Amino acid sequence: MTDGRAESFAEFKDSFSYGSRTDLSFKFLKKLPEVEAAAFIAELFWLVGASQDDGDVEPIHQLLYEWQVRAYAPDPAVPPTWAYDDAPFTRLDKPLSESRVALFTSTGHFLEGDDPNPMGIEGLTQEASLDLINEFQRVTPELSTLDRDYEPEALRVRHPGYDIRGVEEDPNVAFPRDVLVVAEAEGQIGELAPRLFSFTGVTSQKRLNAHAIPGWIEELRNDAVDAVLLVPI
Amino acid sequence: MPTVAIFIRAFRHLLDQMNVPRAVVTRFPLARPLGAPGDRERHRLVVDTALELLETAVQGHTIVELEVPYRVPRT
Repeated sequence: MTDGRAESFAEFKDSFSYGSRTDLSFKFLKKLPEVEAAAFIAELFWLVGASQDDGDVEPIHQLLYEWQVRAYAPDPAVPPTWAYDDAPFTRLDKPLSESRVALFTSTGHFLEGDDPNPMGIEGLTQEASLDLINEFQRVTPELSTLDRDYEPEALRVRHPGYDIRGVEEDPNVAFPRDVLVVAEAEGQIGELAPRLFSFTGVTSQKRLNAHAIPGWIEELRNDAVDAVLLVPI
Repeated sequence: MPTVAIFIRAFRHLLDQMNVPRAVVTRFPLARPLGAPGDRERHRLVVDTALELLETAVQGHTIVELEVPYRVPRT
C-alpha cells in the first residue's frame, strides 16, 4: 500500500531499487518496462515452483543472470555517456613470475579501524549507506589501502551500489586476495604487492579522473607495482 | 602500467566504451565477478585467465570471455 492506495506494478518493481524493498540483485527491474519485468517475475516464479520437485536452482540463477544482462544492455539509440579516444596499452616488461602484482577494486573493502568514513560519517552501516546513494555519487571516494597480510576477521566491506552478500560470505568473490596469495606461493606471479587497494565505486567518472586517479596511480608507483589486477563491481 | 580487469557480462559494453587494455569477462551474476562464495576453483580460473592476459596480450582491447557457467551444472 502506498499512501493508503494500492501499489501499482510499476511502483512494486521499482521498489527494489533504493525503494521500500531495496534488493540490489534485483534493482535492474527498475530499468525494465513493465511488460518485461512481469515476464521475468512470471518465469522466476515458474522456476521456483519447479525447483520444489527437482531441487535444481541453477535455472533460477541462469534466469537472473540473463535478465541482468538484458536490463543493463545499452540502448543502441542512446550514445554512451563517455567516449574515450585513446586505447592505452602497456606491455609487461618482465615475466609475470617476476612481477609484483597489485589488486585494485571498487568493491568498498577496508580494514577494521581504517573506515574511510564517507562524507565524514563514522560507523556507517551498509543499510544506512543505501539511503545515501545520491550523496555517494557527489563526492570523491577515498582510497583504502589494505595490508596484504590482513587477518580475515579484520576485513570490512560497505558499498551502496551492489549486493554485498556474496563478498561478505567469501571476499574472493570480488576481492581475491587469497587467490593471489596462492598464485604467489606457486610462482605464477613474482609477488603480491604489499598493499591492496579498494574504494567505493559509486561516483562519477569525471570526478574520478580529475580528482582521484592521478593520486592513486602514484600510490601504485610508490609500491613499485609492475601490474594491476582490477576488479570493478 | 599494465592492467587487466575482470568484468561481468552485464557490463561488457563498458569495456568497449572505455577501450580497456585487457579484460576477462565472466558470465556470472552481478556482484560475483569471480564466482560463487567458496568456489575457489572458479575464482582461481578467473584470476589465472586474467594474469595470463598480462603476458599474452599484444595489443589493446584484448578481451577473453570465459564460457564457464556460474556453478557447475548438476548431473
